[in-house]
Amino acid sequence: MIVIKDLHKSFGDLEVLKGVNLHVKPGEVVVVIGPSGSGKSTLLRCINRLEESTSGVVIVDGYDVNDKRTDINLVRTEAGMVFQQFNLFPHMTALQNVTLGPVKVRKIPRGEAEKMGHELLEKVGLADKARVYPDQLSGGQKQRVAIARSLALRPKVMLFDEPTSALDPELVGEVLEVMKTLAKEGMTMAVVTHEMGFAREVADRVIFMDEGMIVEESTPQELFGAPRHERTRSFLGRVKGEL
Amino acid sequence: MPGQFNFKFSVVWESFPVLLEGVKLTILITLFGLLVGFCLGVAAGLGRTSRNPFLNRLAGLYIESIRGTPLMVQVMFIYFGLPLAMGMRIPPLAAAVAAIAVNSGAYIAEIVRGSIQSIERGQMEAGRSIGLTHLQAMLYIIWPQAFKRMIPPLGNQFIISLKDTSLLVVIGVGELTRKGQEIIAVNFRAFEVWLAVALMYLALTMTISKLLRLLEKRLDISQ
Repeated sequence: MIVIKDLHKSFGDLEVLKGVNLHVKPGEVVVVIGPSGSGKSTLLRCINRLEESTSGVVIVDGYDVNDKRTDINLVRTEAGMVFQQFNLFPHMTALQNVTLGPVKVRKIPRGEAEKMGHELLEKVGLADKARVYPDQLSGGQKQRVAIARSLALRPKVMLFDEPTSALDPELVGEVLEVMKTLAKEGMTMAVVTHEMGFAREVADRVIFMDEGMIVEESTPQELFGAPRHERTRSFLGRVKGEL
Repeated sequence: MPGQFNFKFSVVWESFPVLLEGVKLTILITLFGLLVGFCLGVAAGLGRTSRNPFLNRLAGLYIESIRGTPLMVQVMFIYFGLPLAMGMRIPPLAAAVAAIAVNSGAYIAEIVRGSIQSIERGQMEAGRSIGLTHLQAMLYIIWPQAFKRMIPPLGNQFIISLKDTSLLVVIGVGELTRKGQEIIAVNFRAFEVWLAVALMYLALTMTISKLLRLLEKRLDISQ
C-alpha cells in the first residue's frame, strides 16, 4: 500500500530524513515512535506530499507521489490525514467539515454526502454534533470529527500525525477508541504517536526512529519486550520514566 | 472679537440642496472608487501571497509606489499628467474614481495579504489533505475565514477613502468639500458652512461603520 525507498528530506542544511525505507502492507497498522525531532512527522507528511521529498521514492497505492504527472489531489483522497492540531475548518459545522471533501473533490451530490456524513459522525460517536461548530467541541470531539472528515473520502490508508498529543489526558481515550475500531475493521494505518499503550495493543509493527533513520522495527512484543538496539532501550526507558 | 460674531445658521439651510449634491457625488466617487479599489486590492493582495515571482513583484511594485506617494500627487498625475501622455482628456469624475480606486487598492491589498497570512498554515494543509486543489482550498477554507478578519481594517480604509475624496477639490470635482468652498465664496459664512460639511462627512463615515458592524455580526455565526 505504501512503499518508501531511500527517502531523504532536508530543510535547508538540516537533514531530517536520512534514507528511510518502509513498506506498509494493506490492512497493516504501523506505529512510528521516537523522540521529538527524529523525523517521524516529516516521514508521514512526505507520504501525502505535504512535504516535498528531497530524494527517494514514495509510492501510495501504486501512485508515485513525487512524480509530477501524478494527480496529487487524487493520491491525497486515498491517504487520509489526521493532524495533531485537528485543523478543523472553524467556519463550518461538523457535518460541513465532513462533507466538504466528498462534495467538492468526489463530486458526490450534497444529499448523499450528508447522509454519509451523518453515518460517519455516528461512527465516531458524534451523531448529535452534526450542526455544531468546532469551537463548541472538546479537543477529543474535534479530533473525532477530523477523523470522520478524512474517512469521508473513503481513503485506502489513514495517516495519523500525533493525533492525541494536543489533547487533555482524559480525552485521549475516546480518540484512541475510534482508531482501534478502524484498525479492527482492517484499515491500513500509519500512526505517529507517543501512546505506547496503543502501539502495544494495536500495532502489527512498531518502528523506532531516531535522528532521521529507522533504528529498529519489529512486532510490538519484540520491540517493547526485547529491544535490540541501545538507542531503542534508552528511549523506552525514558518514556517509561515519564509514565 | 469673540462674542461679536453673528452666527447665521439659516445659510446652511439655504445652501442645503447644493451641499446635498456634493454629498451625492462624494458617495458616488467613494462607492465606485472602493468597488474598483476592492477588486484591485484583492488581486494585488493575492498576488502578494502568490509564489509566482512575477505576480508577487508586480503586486509589490504597485503597493509600494502607491503607498509611497501622496494621494494629492496621484490625483494631479492622473488628471493633468496622464492625459498628456495618452493624448486624450480624462473627465474629472473618471479621474476622481480612478484616483480613489488605485489609492485604496494598494492599502486594501495589504489588508487582504495580512488577513490571508493570518490564517493558520494547518488550514491549508487540512484542505489539501482531503484532496482540494490550492484554488479550492483558498476559496472554501482560507478566504471565508480571512474575509471575516478583513472587515475591521477594511472599514477603516473605507472611511479613510471617503474622507480622501475631499482632496479631489484640486481637480474641480463638485463633491462635498468643493461645494462648501463654492458656497463660502459667495456668502463668506465659513464657520456655519464648514461645520455643516464636517457634520455631513461624519454622518457618512458613521453610516459606513454601522453597515460594517452589521456585516460583521451577520458573519459571526461560528466564532
